[in-house]
Amino acid sequence: MQAGLFLQTLITGLSIGGIYALMAVGYSLVFSVLNFSNFAHGAVIMLGAYAGLALATRLSLGFGLVLAGSIAAAGIIAVLNERLAYSSLRKRKAPSLYLMISAMGCAVFLENLVYATIGSRFYAFPEFFGRQVINLGSSSISLLDVAAFLFALAAILALHLFISRTRTGIAIRAGVSDMTMCSLMGVDLDRLIAIVFLLAGGFAGVAGVFLGIKYLVYPTMGWVTNKAYIAAVIGGLGSLPGALAGGLILGVVETFVSTYVSSVIRDVFSFTLLILFLVLRPNGLLGQDSEEKV
Amino acid sequence: MSPRDPLLSVKGLSRDFGGIRAVDSFTFDVREGTITGIIGPNGAGKTTVFNLVTGIYRPSAGSIMFCGEDIGGFRPDRIVRMGIARTFQNIRLFNRRSCLENVLTPLMQREKFSFLGALAGSPGNRNKDRKLRGRALELLSELGLERHASCQAGTLPYGLQRKLEIARALATEPSLLLLDEPAAGMNPEETRSLARLISEVREKFQITILLIEHHMDLVMNICSPVIVMNFGTLLATGTPGEIRENQAVVDAYLGKGKIKNERAAG
Amino acid sequence: MDYILSIVILACINMIAVLGLSIFTGFTGLFSLGHAAFVAVGAYTSAILTYYYEVPFILALAAGAAAAGAVSLIIGIPTLRAKLRSDYFAIAILGFGEALRVLLENFEITNGARGLPGIESFTTLPIVLVCLTAGVFVARNFLRSRWGAACIAIREDPVAAEMAGVRLFRTRLLSLVVSAVYCGLSGGLLAHFLSFIQPVMFTLLQSTQLLAAVIAGGMGSISGPLIASFVFIALPEALRVAQMWRLVAYGLLLVLIMVYRPQGLMGYSELSTLISRILKRGEAR
Repeated sequence: MQAGLFLQTLITGLSIGGIYALMAVGYSLVFSVLNFSNFAHGAVIMLGAYAGLALATRLSLGFGLVLAGSIAAAGIIAVLNERLAYSSLRKRKAPSLYLMISAMGCAVFLENLVYATIGSRFYAFPEFFGRQVINLGSSSISLLDVAAFLFALAAILALHLFISRTRTGIAIRAGVSDMTMCSLMGVDLDRLIAIVFLLAGGFAGVAGVFLGIKYLVYPTMGWVTNKAYIAAVIGGLGSLPGALAGGLILGVVETFVSTYVSSVIRDVFSFTLLILFLVLRPNGLLGQDSEEKV
Repeated sequence: MSPRDPLLSVKGLSRDFGGIRAVDSFTFDVREGTITGIIGPNGAGKTTVFNLVTGIYRPSAGSIMFCGEDIGGFRPDRIVRMGIARTFQNIRLFNRRSCLENVLTPLMQREKFSFLGALAGSPGNRNKDRKLRGRALELLSELGLERHASCQAGTLPYGLQRKLEIARALATEPSLLLLDEPAAGMNPEETRSLARLISEVREKFQITILLIEHHMDLVMNICSPVIVMNFGTLLATGTPGEIRENQAVVDAYLGKGKIKNERAAG
Repeated sequence: MDYILSIVILACINMIAVLGLSIFTGFTGLFSLGHAAFVAVGAYTSAILTYYYEVPFILALAAGAAAAGAVSLIIGIPTLRAKLRSDYFAIAILGFGEALRVLLENFEITNGARGLPGIESFTTLPIVLVCLTAGVFVARNFLRSRWGAACIAIREDPVAAEMAGVRLFRTRLLSLVVSAVYCGLSGGLLAHFLSFIQPVMFTLLQSTQLLAAVIAGGMGSISGPLIASFVFIALPEALRVAQMWRLVAYGLLLVLIMVYRPQGLMGYSELSTLISRILKRGEAR
């Protein structure tokens, strides 16, 4: 009985953790390259979910196409977001405060636009994974959870390969350390940043679909990203492996607290965890000490 | 601390950034009352040394002795209170504040005010405020900026911005003033004027000055000793004459051209 | 008439909170997505005191404001340290907002998600006006004091501020506590005006409205955000715009202002300077 519950909780935790990791990676990617917190990330996730929903319900597409469509839609939205709300600020070297305010504005705008047009109704995805469970001993593990976790891992692994093996990926890593140097070396900065946002948006799309399938789709679902930000801090702000680690750890620990202590306490717990990390280890698990160049 | 001890004594100072050693076992002294110059090629680590001395970076190794204490790793505002002030290579003014307010800010930080009295606008506070504003205006006048007192700092021409930065640094009543490339972007006439100003400041305020510069005429005319840095460490130190003759310095940095030898008073 | 009166009172209550956020964001340059949480703390603390313990109104207001200030330390101390960037604080206060909502929804004394009804409507126009006037007076003096100068120095250039003798951590923390106290006071007044409070009234969207007023009014100005705040409350009422469309407008406004006119309406100057400049130009003719 105990082992069964434990395994179930672990798998659920990994699945949620995987989704958190997906969100955190998208956020960290933009953070590490552009050096600001894109608080509109949640809104892109939400729009990805709605796009996927539309493809699934209106066009009755299968899971694979829904996912692909959502990735594409969210990616494009993210790039548009950058072009319209951030690029002019970035070009005039505005302080990150301005970028955060603009991001916040986008998030509120998009969220409430959906609320005002599509409405606040909660929508459900069709049952792509059915209610299929895998029975391992005394625990029943939902196929959806396993799929979410594996997908998250696969996506992040793919990103890692992209960043370490391709020319564009290397350019992104170079941009992380020095944007100006990068552009002086002939890298098209605008194109590079567009690619970064495309990637971040893609991740947001995947996260949105899985969130939507696991839970429901509604206008304010983007604020689950609060957990992603906390995960990113725990893992180390700006670090991609940190985002993965932080996401998984937060998901698992949260789910255990939720199952064994009290589900209500969950959000209070993650906030407390954040504060603990900030007090004891602000650079997170895998982050580096970065000092401002004067 | 006896008058014979150097004001600032740096021993074996090192600082790493990831895999790069920006400052490497750097040792030098600054004697009281001097205008000491630091020169060296770009990337030699000069500004990093300033950042280490003023507490912006923590040393990876070595010590920075000032007023009998090793100030390595102290917080910047604590070091400022101990008596070290600096200006920046890229001019960091409070751009949207007036010139007066730029100088007033450090003056106010040094003064004791009652919090509740300030919130209530008590007469005592207002008097102190008036007194400090007067002092700020005086400082601006010492540097010839009194006409611009109520102008926004960011709107000032470049040369005056540099002077304002110096005025603001002086407002912290330092015993050691660090100037990071004060003549950057100046033409020869402005540079001469700046050289005069620096000498005057040293006289009037009775302080020691340590400056980083690339304008050789400025350095050679008002600085002594001159410290030469390369690859994060000491290459040579001596009077301007000695440095000019030093082959290693010439090879690394100065080159074979002639240096104009103009008097600082000229 | 009563309707107009209540709009004016609501606007003034909002202006007090906006004033607080203005000190933190407009004058110290720190980003906050969650000051509504401090409004909530003030509202619930003062409401609980008057409702259950029959504490006199003024004392309850003060306690609410103080509680908000104290709570802000929980978020501020770990996140505002000199070496940490402002993103950490932003994330922490987002998390705090969520945690607070959960706590409010699950305690007996706060009556959970249903909310606390039946609060005595102690708030009247004279009281609100007194609080607002005192608030503006104190804010002005604070900003002219050495602590205010320190805050503004941090906004302009934190590195240079340290070189001017400013203690980064202490000053940021002070700015946060002061802004939280203002928000707490606003919350207390709000609770005793609406006679009913619910956790859902103090969410991210309310924080957005506060921020929108500060940005639209202009960072570095006291009068600007006050004007904007009044307009943001009065105008939608006059136009009978639904809540969600208001927020669409706020969101869009924030982006447009940042892209095209970051100084907002009165950025870095005051209504009084603008008026005197206009008068001087008139005299010159």
